[in-house]
Amino acid sequence: MPHEKEQDAGFIVTGETRDEFLESLWMLEETGKGKKTDRLSVFALAVKEGYIENNAGAEVVVGDMAARGDILLDGDYVSLSERGRDAARNIIRRKRLAETLLSEVFALGPMEIKNSACQFEHILSPDVTDSVCSFLGHPPSCPHGKPIPRGSCCKKLAHHMRPLVMPMKDLEPGNRARITFISPRDHGRMDRLSTLGIVPGTDIVLHQKRPAFVIRAGETELALDLDIAAEIYVKIIS
Amino acid sequence: MTAKGLRKLLLVGNPNVGKSVIFGNLTGKYATVSNYPGTTVEVSTGNATIKGIQYVVTDTPGVNSLLPMSEDEQVTRDILLHEDFDTVIQVADVKNLRRSLLISLQLSEMGVPFVMALNMADEAEDLGITTDLAALSKSIGVDTVSTVATRKKGITKLKEVCQTPRHSTLSVAFGERVENAIKEMEPLLPDAKISKRSLALMLIGGDLSLRSWLHSLIPDASIDALEEIVNNLQAQYPEPLGYYINRKRLLAVDKIVKSCQSRVKDARRGFRQWLGAVTMHPLWGLPVLLVVLYLMYEFVGVFGAGILVDFMEKTVFNQWINPVVIRLFDYVPAQFLRELFVGQYGIVTMAVTYSIAIVLPITTTFFMAFGILEDSGYLPRLAIMVNRLFRLIGLNGKAVLPMVLGLGCCTMATLTTRILETKKERVIVTLLLALAIPCSAQLGVIMGMLAGISGEATIIWALVLLFVLFLIGYLSSKIIKGEPSDFILELPPVRAPKLKNILNKTLGRIEWYLKEAVPLFVLGTLILFTADKLMLLGLIEKIASPVIVGLLGLPEKATAAFLIGFLRRDYGAAGLYAMQKAGELTPVQVLVSVVTITLFVPCIAQFFVTVKERGLKSAVAMMAFVFPFAILIGSALNFSLRFLGVTLK
Repeated sequence: MPHEKEQDAGFIVTGETRDEFLESLWMLEETGKGKKTDRLSVFALAVKEGYIENNAGAEVVVGDMAARGDILLDGDYVSLSERGRDAARNIIRRKRLAETLLSEVFALGPMEIKNSACQFEHILSPDVTDSVCSFLGHPPSCPHGKPIPRGSCCKKLAHHMRPLVMPMKDLEPGNRARITFISPRDHGRMDRLSTLGIVPGTDIVLHQKRPAFVIRAGETELALDLDIAAEIYVKIIS
Repeated sequence: MTAKGLRKLLLVGNPNVGKSVIFGNLTGKYATVSNYPGTTVEVSTGNATIKGIQYVVTDTPGVNSLLPMSEDEQVTRDILLHEDFDTVIQVADVKNLRRSLLISLQLSEMGVPFVMALNMADEAEDLGITTDLAALSKSIGVDTVSTVATRKKGITKLKEVCQTPRHSTLSVAFGERVENAIKEMEPLLPDAKISKRSLALMLIGGDLSLRSWLHSLIPDASIDALEEIVNNLQAQYPEPLGYYINRKRLLAVDKIVKSCQSRVKDARRGFRQWLGAVTMHPLWGLPVLLVVLYLMYEFVGVFGAGILVDFMEKTVFNQWINPVVIRLFDYVPAQFLRELFVGQYGIVTMAVTYSIAIVLPITTTFFMAFGILEDSGYLPRLAIMVNRLFRLIGLNGKAVLPMVLGLGCCTMATLTTRILETKKERVIVTLLLALAIPCSAQLGVIMGMLAGISGEATIIWALVLLFVLFLIGYLSSKIIKGEPSDFILELPPVRAPKLKNILNKTLGRIEWYLKEAVPLFVLGTLILFTADKLMLLGLIEKIASPVIVGLLGLPEKATAAFLIGFLRRDYGAAGLYAMQKAGELTPVQVLVSVVTITLFVPCIAQFFVTVKERGLKSAVAMMAFVFPFAILIGSALNFSLRFLGVTLK
């Protein structure tokens, strides 16, 4: 993360490797019962993920990160320090929000999500992260079902957890909504919807969800299949 | 101007805006008016005299875009692109001004002068929508007239202004990159009746239907260059260009709508809206459907096939017409002629009696009922109700239109399979129409036969049909390659049908039906007559005996009915009906023969239409499947009924 660059001065382990290590430790703590994590299992994960070559390299990373106060050492066990935990929480939050964004909004496949999300976690600034979180409606978990750590934006809106943008299929009959974007499987569908006046910015009312979705836009009433309604993203307006 | 020196007038507009009714107002001739998107696939033309000048009026298929996304839209775009015309009336649903202006804008881009009829002004008023016509005319630069076509309001005014169409001033700037691409493309494009800018925009929007036309006019190198410009442009945009262009157009259109139209907030949504919602409600939609079916049964089945047929057959023909005709023929000396016209297989006593006494009342009542369903806006809502069910057989709800129409006339229905979007859907529906959908005439005769035996027989017959329908639908959806199409269906508002429209439509359809059917009845009768005279009937009965007697368990005499069934299934059914009346069939034989004849090969007319729509190979393949399959199901039913000892008495 650029704004933490200056703190890296004088340490061997910097930037992405540090982020990755903190992330690995967070994930092991998340899956493990207790807080204490065996250093060898962290090494194994780090080598598996490919950002550290071997256990010798990992020893160096551990030493360095303990020295800068990111982690605490206790014999064969390592754990996150207060400072390290904060940093790890932010990394995990960025990564899982990115995964949610890529999966729900851009409908990418698992491999593309994994690769892109790994890039996002290093570059998103706190403001952008909070914007993504709000845009997605402060989702509680990522596409894999793991919890997304809450950010300050989530607390501000704790009373208002309804997602800002959601697929039309999640609306309730009677809801009025404005279309924010459409992400269809094929282009023909998008073109066809646009000739019927269904484009971002159009206000719609959902009449019913079964046996097919029926929406009204202006004086145009349309019936759609569920899979099309899942590709139209809307924002509820009152 | 056409060769004959007549001026040409085009009607263009979105689907279901009342183009066909305005066409009727101008020409006096009625084209099919339907609520179901795409029913006017075929283009209707008529003559009109407007202020002393003769016009040929063409009613083009409804379009949502002049960048074609369906066959209908392509027909309309091609008419604008290739044909000569003197004036264009754009018909708009004033309630849906936004979507109408999307078409106006494209006409403007094409450089086509037009006037605009803002139709359905009465419905807009009910919804509290007011439109400032002067402001609208000013912002688009053409004359606008408010109309209520169904009540002929505004038509006189429309006739006045339509002779002086103007070029619209509507235009949209699509941003520097697109505009530059258009400038680069224009010199490469051929001269056409519409502007090069509009052609460029079609190509940018991803129109493939122009390809062969372009290839015939410009060198391949130019086409490659055009393609490269479009590809380079697309690379700079994250969204499909066609979509980008429509969005830009809608943005421009929205501004005009906002400045010219206002609506009373939360105008009362009345009874019609409530009814519209109930007919497609997940829960209440079903009882509504049952009520609709029941009313149709009462009207077509009980009133048409029962009371009317009885009256026509027993009173009109057997008491009045036939005795008179037979007496007339008593004066004809030639025995041969007497038998030809009034004998057992006589043209009057068999063919005409059957087609007028039995077929006419049933088809008339059916087409009236169907017309009411169409004009009331119920059919698209029915499509919603059956959408999920139809998904099982590789179709979507839209296929309900040809299927229901098939209950009237499968030949007509085979033609309307064109409204389905993919080839896969068209093939499946055509096959099901050929196999398992009985037409109204056949249905009438069959109902009459089944009514003579127990209710169980009717239930078994219906279950076998539904089983075959879904089995074959399901299997063919697995075998025939292709994706099912999207279910995006526009729902017209529920309206009270106008009696005059219904009657006009019914008359048109009956005329068509009788022209198709009566010659076949006469032909079939002649074949039977000839076969009888030449003693061939006995021979054919012997040959077919293993199938008719062995497999189906029917008397040899039933062969004649099936033979004639090759011409028309309903005529074959009528033969069986006569046998049942003469006490020559047991209840089990009635049921087996009725099931077999229902599934039997489609009539000659339907076969020819299938050849026309699907090609000779597919049509023959379907016949080759349907014929043995009908015998197979009939035999299976025969053996299981006998095995189980069912007597149906």
